[in-house]
Amino acid sequence: MALTDTRPETGTDARAVAPSVVPSPLTIFGSGDHKAVGTFYVLAALIFGVAGWVATALSSAHEIGSGTFLSSMAARQLGQTSQVGLILLVIVPLFLGLATYIVPLQVGASTVAFPRAAAAAMWTWLLGSGVFIVASFIDGGFGGDRTKSVSLTVLSLGGIIVALLLGTVCALTTAITLRTPGMTLDRVPMFTFSMLVGGAIWMLTLPVMLANLLLIWVDLRYGGATVFGEASLQFGQVSWLAHEPQIYAFLVPGLGIVADIVATLTGARLAHRNVLLFAVGAFGVLSVGAWAQNAMYPNFADDLLWQAMSVVAVLPILLLLGGVATAMKSGKPSLKSPLGLAVISLLLTLLGVVAGALLAITPLELRSTNAFANGQFILVLGAALAAGAAGIGYWGPKMTGGLCVDAIGKLNVLVLLGGGALGGLSLCVLGFTTRFNGLADAYDALLVVSVAGSVLLALGSLLVILGLLSGAHKSAPEAGANPWGTGQTLEWACASPPPTGNFADLAVVRSPEPLLDEEA
Amino acid sequence: MTAHVLPPAPPVQRPRVLVVGAAFAAAASFMVFIGLIGIYLAARVDIINAGAKWLPEGSKIPLQQPNTMFITLIMSVVTMQWAVAAIAKNDRVNAYLALGLTLMLGVATIIMTTYLWTLMKLDIASGLQGVLIYTITGAHIVMLVVAMLFVALMALRALGGQFTARQHDGITAAALYWYAMVAVYALIWISIYVTK
Repeated sequence: MALTDTRPETGTDARAVAPSVVPSPLTIFGSGDHKAVGTFYVLAALIFGVAGWVATALSSAHEIGSGTFLSSMAARQLGQTSQVGLILLVIVPLFLGLATYIVPLQVGASTVAFPRAAAAAMWTWLLGSGVFIVASFIDGGFGGDRTKSVSLTVLSLGGIIVALLLGTVCALTTAITLRTPGMTLDRVPMFTFSMLVGGAIWMLTLPVMLANLLLIWVDLRYGGATVFGEASLQFGQVSWLAHEPQIYAFLVPGLGIVADIVATLTGARLAHRNVLLFAVGAFGVLSVGAWAQNAMYPNFADDLLWQAMSVVAVLPILLLLGGVATAMKSGKPSLKSPLGLAVISLLLTLLGVVAGALLAITPLELRSTNAFANGQFILVLGAALAAGAAGIGYWGPKMTGGLCVDAIGKLNVLVLLGGGALGGLSLCVLGFTTRFNGLADAYDALLVVSVAGSVLLALGSLLVILGLLSGAHKSAPEAGANPWGTGQTLEWACASPPPTGNFADLAVVRSPEPLLDEEA
Repeated sequence: MTAHVLPPAPPVQRPRVLVVGAAFAAAASFMVFIGLIGIYLAARVDIINAGAKWLPEGSKIPLQQPNTMFITLIMSVVTMQWAVAAIAKNDRVNAYLALGLTLMLGVATIIMTTYLWTLMKLDIASGLQGVLIYTITGAHIVMLVVAMLFVALMALRALGGQFTARQHDGITAAALYWYAMVAVYALIWISIYVTK
């Protein structure tokens, strides 16, 4: 493009083409539009989410009573597959989809960086996810009997990780290079910043997972499956993904979503914004967990570093909680569902990190069974799902062009809070059975509660889809550019849904809340 | 008649999208090897602490081929940087020559690695050592091929006249990924070929 050319977003017909939220398969199949790619990620991830939480419920239900519900091999594989699946098929793509859609809008860019790579990443992820699910059904879970199926699982996970990393590169490069004039890195909106932090942590840790998978695959395929590919050793090499502190890395973008929503729906600029940026960054740094590999380093839990990281991770969350409380006090909170979902997300996050700190305290003996760690997993992923739900409720009008039915979101506040708390806390209590013998009597009852919690989380995922679709329905009232009326960041300056090229023209940004400057 | 004085040209708008993207890709690729080599070192320490030798009986890793490869790759860094410097001066002939040499040195490295595999007399099914060494060196070949494709693609774009002194991000990005690949080799050289 020569320098004298008109920038594409300033073209006269830029506003003319407003894509509908659920484009026809034909247009989406070849689309490099970041909005179509992002929407597709989000919808697919939520559908996988329903399946993933149902699988979690089934694997817990197996433990009730005498445990004859499934074969023990099937139950173990289901539990492990659902943990890996909930991370790589649900939470990471959910945030990545939101980032692909929202980050270019937040930084005032006309497109995501490398739009075709972003589209290729999404399709590769979708294909890999499909293969992963099929392979899991044909006895390909970790430790499965059929070597070829396990190879397929490992290969599909490798493909999924490469795709997610490629998508992350696109989102991060957008945030680094395509910011509108005046938007320095400390002025980017909280979600973009947290995506930068979280994405950077993913870029540093998910390749290590790729290294683990590579070793398992090579050993299965060529090495005779005696070391890395040995059935009983497979999951131990990748389980760090679902454990503390790595599990926190998949929560980081959610913190930014929470902060953005709180700022908009209380109608005030965030006070002490730099402290909040620091908290998100610190939480990211504390979530680097690729080194705590059970198979290579069985005693990592005795490592002072691991224990310190687990305990200190509570502090950034407390800082964020303080920031949110300050905003609520100084602003005028508007009681819309995204705010409720944001608050319960932060609440579940707090429960998750406190549980993580308890897990690190050796005298409590919480690591002698898996129950407590599994409970913490559900708390943290429930928090991530709630943050995703809050983000979709918040940006839903932007994505669909119509106001979503707020009652669905409000119902979901209860469903997700109930699901996360019941599903996670019951297993955490179960983790204390080694200390308190009386708990053994309540074993089955606690498991029933946990199953109910997982089912609620599945229902919550479904409600998020319904909420988004309600905005796309013909009868939905038109959202307008700034449906909350108090939007602070640039995504609320373009039409809903944004036209091709997103913005017509943008003023130079002078603060983290450019829309408030304009009014003043 | 006064001559029209044109206003100064605006500064080159260079968001450097490709360079930043390549830097992220290089970092992610590098981390794969950090993971692999970390696992390799942990496994080796376990075996050596148990009083055994790391390499199984009958296997050996000569140092001549790894050293040759290292020198080859260091030379490729020079030729790669030569290409970057040449395109920045609009010296296209030198840029083509340097890119071609870089690719040739890459091919030489692949050939030398496969030759080294035949010399090692290490069976991949012999256990831990075989799987680790072949996975790591094989993954490096994959990274090298990716880097070569990147360079070749950018060389073709340069041939098509897309890069000039004002805009040569593509070559810079390919060079960045190439250097990361050479850095990975340096890690492999010291941790697998030299200390064993």
